[in-house]
Order: sequence, then C-alpha cells, then structure tokens
Amino acid sequence: MAIGAFVALVGFSRSFEHEWLEVYESGGTDIAVIQKTFFNTSVDESVGAKLRALPDIARATPMILNMMEITPEITALTYGWKADSYELDSLTFKSGRRFRDGQAEVILGDLLAANLNKTAGDSLAIQGSKFTVTGVYHGASALEASALILPLDQLQQIADLQGKVSAFHVRLRPVPAGETPQHFLESAQAQIQSALPDLSAVPAAERASNNQLVLMAHAAAWGTSGIALLIGILGIANTMAMSVFERTREIGILRALGWRRWKVLLLIQTEAAALGFAGGVFGIFFGWGGLRILSKLPQTASIVSAAFPPVLLIEALGVAVLAGLLAGAFPAWRGAHLSPVEALRHD
Amino acid sequence: MTNNSSKQAPILAARALCKSYDDGRIEALRGVDLSIQAGEFVAISGPSGSGKSTLLQLIGGLDSPTSGEVLFQDALLGANVDLDTYRSRHVGFIFQGFYLMPTLRAIENVQVPMLAVKSEAKERAARAESLLIEMGLESRMRQYPNELSGGERQRVAIARALANNPSILLADEPTGNLDSVNSARIMEMLIGIQESRGMTLIVVTHENEIANAAPRHIRIRDGRVEP
Repeated sequence: MAIGAFVALVGFSRSFEHEWLEVYESGGTDIAVIQKTFFNTSVDESVGAKLRALPDIARATPMILNMMEITPEITALTYGWKADSYELDSLTFKSGRRFRDGQAEVILGDLLAANLNKTAGDSLAIQGSKFTVTGVYHGASALEASALILPLDQLQQIADLQGKVSAFHVRLRPVPAGETPQHFLESAQAQIQSALPDLSAVPAAERASNNQLVLMAHAAAWGTSGIALLIGILGIANTMAMSVFERTREIGILRALGWRRWKVLLLIQTEAAALGFAGGVFGIFFGWGGLRILSKLPQTASIVSAAFPPVLLIEALGVAVLAGLLAGAFPAWRGAHLSPVEALRHD
Repeated sequence: MTNNSSKQAPILAARALCKSYDDGRIEALRGVDLSIQAGEFVAISGPSGSGKSTLLQLIGGLDSPTSGEVLFQDALLGANVDLDTYRSRHVGFIFQGFYLMPTLRAIENVQVPMLAVKSEAKERAARAESLLIEMGLESRMRQYPNELSGGERQRVAIARALANNPSILLADEPTGNLDSVNSARIMEMLIGIQESRGMTLIVVTHENEIANAAPRHIRIRDGRVEP
C-alpha cells in the first residue's frame, strides 16, 4: 500500500510537472519573463515593447494565468491571451473559431467543454459576466485541455488587473549558424536580464519544473509517500521480526551446521528484499490504478495524466526493495546473532 | 588401534572445562578433562541434568565454555579454530529431535551444510543423493520431513551430518525419539559409518545398552567425569 501511495502521489506530481512542460513546449515558448516569485507575479504590460526591441527575440506575448471558479464544482485554469498570441497557433480547434480582443468571448479546452457540457455558440458566465464560447480546442496537455482562454483585456477587467500581466512568454529567433541552442538561450536570457533587471528570464523547461506549484506538488507527494513508506517499513519490519521469531530454531539449525552470521543475515535480508519487491509490484499496480482513476475524475483530470514514466517504475521498485532491506535490517541482525544453542532450544 | 593412536595428538581434548548459567548459579560442568583420539567411538552417559549434553555442545563448538578450553587437533576452539569453520567442516551433528528444515525435502536438507562451504550445485545434489542412498532412503529423497517416519528422519539427519565429510560425528541422544527397532538400526548405522570411515563418534546417551556398546564409556555426574 505504501508503494501504491508512492506511485500514485509521485506519479501525480511528475505528471503535473510533465503537463506544465507540455504547455510550454507545445506553445513554442523558450523563455518566460516573470517577477521573482510565481504566485504574485505581476509584470507591467508596457515591458512588452522593451522585450520586442531585443535582437534575439522574435515574439513576446503577454499572458495572465489564473484559477477561476466556473461552477461550484469546477475550478479551471484560466489564461488571458492576446488574439494574435503565437501560442494560439498550437491549438487545434475541434469546433468554432478563435476569440477576438475586446470581445466577451472565450475558447474552451475539449475536456473542460465536455465537463461543462458546452459547445461553440453557447454562453458561459465567468465571474458574473456573460461570455460567448467561440470555439473548443484540443489541448496538447491535460492542463490546456481543461483550461479556458479569454482575451487578455477581458481577463484583466474581470481580475481587476488593468495594465498588468502574469508573465511575458518569449519565442526566440532561430538559432544562428555555428551557435548551440543552449548558448543562444543563455545569451538571450542574459540580454533580457540586462534590459529588465527587476524581472526574471526563466527558460521554459525550468519554469515548468521549478515553479512553486510543481515544487509544492513534489514536496507534498514525497512528504505524504514518505509517511506511507515509513508505515510500510514498520509493517515489513513487523512481518520480518515475526518470521525470524517463528523460525528461530531453523536459524539455530543453520548456525549449528556452520552457516556464518553474514550468511544468515544475507538469507533474511534477501527475504526482506523479496518481500519489498513483491509489495512494490503490487503497489505499482495499485498506484497506477489510482492514477488512472484520478486522470478520469473531473476534479483532477486537468492536472493528472495516466502516463506512467518508466523511471517512476524503477524508482518505485528501488524504494520498495530499499524499504524491505531497511525493515529487515534489525530482524536479520538479531537472527544472525542468535546463539545456536539458544536457538535450537526455541519451541 | 587405540595403542597406535594414543601416541598421536588427540583429535579432541577438554581441559578444566566449566560451564555455568544464570550468572553462575547453575553449574552444568565443573572442570571436565578428557581426551579423545581420532577414530574412537566414545559414549557419554549420565543422569538427566548431569551436563552430558552441555559437554557435547562445547566440544561441538555450539557454545563457548565459561572457563577452560576445548582443543581440536591441538588448536584452541574459538581462538585458533573459527567455530563456524569447525562446525561446518570438521563436525557432523545428529540431534535427538532430528532438527530437519520442515520446508525442505530430504535431499535439500542434506545439502544445507554444503551451502556453508563452497560447493557446486550439481556436486551438492549428487553427494546428497549418494548419502541418502547409503542410508537406504533412495525412494524417500523427495519427501518433506513430515512425510517421513522418525527412523527415516534420523537417517536423513545422519546423511546431513556426513554431508561435508567431517572427521567427528557428535550424536546427542540419537535414538531418544525412536522405538527399539529403529534405535537398533540407527546405532548399527552409526557404528558402521564410524568403522568404515574411521571417524570419531561421540554419542551422548542415557541408555546403558548403547553406552555399553561403545569401546570407551565416559560417565558424567553433577558436571564431573566419574573416575
């Protein structure tokens, strides 16, 4: 169960991070220009002109990212974009069209549209204002598929953020011949930092994996699964202690027949590791099942995908075997140090 | 044989051997001296609680004396000879309660001591099979201990004791859990093995018939060897 919890929670936080990365990658964003922190990032919209003037920057588009309660049951990720934002190019419209700046129009991700039971042409109330759903798009990630996007000016108005945006998403010019993409990215980053010293220019991949929401998700996942693992370790330790106790005489026989202490220790630890491994295999199935269920629930579908990275499988099995070894350490030590005579007398 | 071997260093010797338990309140052995030559068949007898099993445990390296010393071929047990090595290579144990692994088949039980020393799996299986055939258990090799009779279990235990070809066989009441027919058969087997292999056989018993069958009989009373 502990490994199941580990797989589900760490898988959840990993998929959350993965979804963020998808958002940036599919939109073609290279750098995000933000304030130093994630939550209260508030950048003046006028910064856009300075960014666009920098030589390595092809496009710089302002955006707002927010969470909004759409219905009492559904709170959705809400983006405010300009109608000419390059990020809109990455969306595939299943029906309808894009929104226009200055209009009370909204486009919905297909997952959110299905949950809200809305199609193009329907109206949708957002924070008391009536919007027309002009299109439904297919999002490249679960985050996008469960989001809604409105004109930047409309979201600024609703959120009372006139003249402010959450960030500027920057797309760089093609990498010049003879220069490596990494070096070009770093040089553009330096250009932005130099032009706008009060802001941070963060590469998209770092922004996806190192933003406070993802870090919090990772911390919560590792913290919770750490507690679950501790309980699991105590469970295995109890099982191993009982097993060693019940087989005290057998251990005595092995010692009487000349088995060395380390060999008895190895035997018990092998059993503990096998127990951990078997628990790990079952746990992976349970955890994967949990992730699949979470990826289907409307409340969590936007941030969880059922994708199961192989590295998580290896980590989970590694953690399970390690938990078994830790749990078996004391019973194994105790078993190995039994006196053969006392062990043989054991009933 | 006794005259010739008496000129050699004893295979086993105990000097002023004492063993006490419970912070010295119980004295199981009180200064035992003895010397056993290679190839001897020795019976140790005495009433319950006399210390005969404790003596066997000490000369078998299963336990350490409170004071005194046990020598194997003139080397001090626990100091010059590692106890694990001594038990795995030089001594074979046969217990009253058989002490077979309940989850292992007869042939696997015989291989257990061989796992304590370096050996190939094929070699182990072949040797275990040959020993069980020697014990007349060719048709019982695949049985678990609970599928065997008491006599059969003890024969598996004898095969196991011989697994690493030890020079000393130590048997603690080997017939204690057997009927008279099986007791006679087991003793016949042990004596046969001792004679054919020239092994040293030390049997702890409270049965006079077995004790009297041995060429040398040591009596223990109150933790001391009787003169």
